[in-house]
Amino acid sequence: MRLVRYNHPLSRFYTPSPAFQTPWSGLENEISRLFDSVVGDFNTASVTNRFPVDLYEDQENYFVRAELPGVDRADINVEVVEDFLNITASRKTKDGDQEQSYSLSRSVNVADNVQADKVSAQYENGVLTVTLPKKEEAKPRKIAVSVN
Amino acid sequence: MPLFNSLISNFNRTPASRQSEQSSSPSRRPVYDVKETDDAWGVTVHLPGVTKENLSITDEDGTLKIRGERSWKQPAGWTNLYRESSELPFQLELDHDNAIDAEKAVAELNDGVLRLSLPKAESRKPRKIAIA
Repeated sequence: MRLVRYNHPLSRFYTPSPAFQTPWSGLENEISRLFDSVVGDFNTASVTNRFPVDLYEDQENYFVRAELPGVDRADINVEVVEDFLNITASRKTKDGDQEQSYSLSRSVNVADNVQADKVSAQYENGVLTVTLPKKEEAKPRKIAVSVN
Repeated sequence: MPLFNSLISNFNRTPASRQSEQSSSPSRRPVYDVKETDDAWGVTVHLPGVTKENLSITDEDGTLKIRGERSWKQPAGWTNLYRESSELPFQLELDHDNAIDAEKAVAELNDGVLRLSLPKAESRKPRKIAIA
């Protein structure tokens, strides 16, 4: 989706300065994003290599849920690189003798207070759930104080 | 000011999601594809998060209806930070001309993918006519 700027017939008589253009660029981006959000869900999974991702948290963990139907567990690759959780997967479909493979990938920005070495993932009914435990200092702490 | 505030809430409204035709409750049309061989139709439907128990396939009046409810519910204590998926059930309606043999249909749900094999009715299969 791309918007084409309307050219006023008299536009050649003045040179638009960058300061004149900027107020609209934000609006244009917003409009094209809106169009993408409506038009974009036509066959999202089959046309693009993106897949829907949700992010949740509770007191101890962050959770990333990704809709990845029809992917073999062995073909899902989850890795944490600095603040990003990268999910890559390939979906193999057999059509008679021919085997086709689509690669899917998504990168999610997660908070930096994640214990990267304790991240776990499970795949069920075509949905991948990644659990990212928070670091100790990030958890809300509750200290009981005894009153004499 | 109250008028202005009511306008602002309209700005935040998300665009209405498309609904599949003739459905009473809101639903989402899943990604699917249909293939044809000499003796059957093969339908592949992507239904992430749908279990066997929450899936219904009915064939009535020339319409094959596939409806899958999402079985996962957000557990208590989980806060949603960012969301792209939808909670709406999946629904797909495919019209056909009764040329399928629904009795012999085979369905298989695996890792969120439904594979449906709908054999063509005997009368519609290609037939060689012997010349007397």
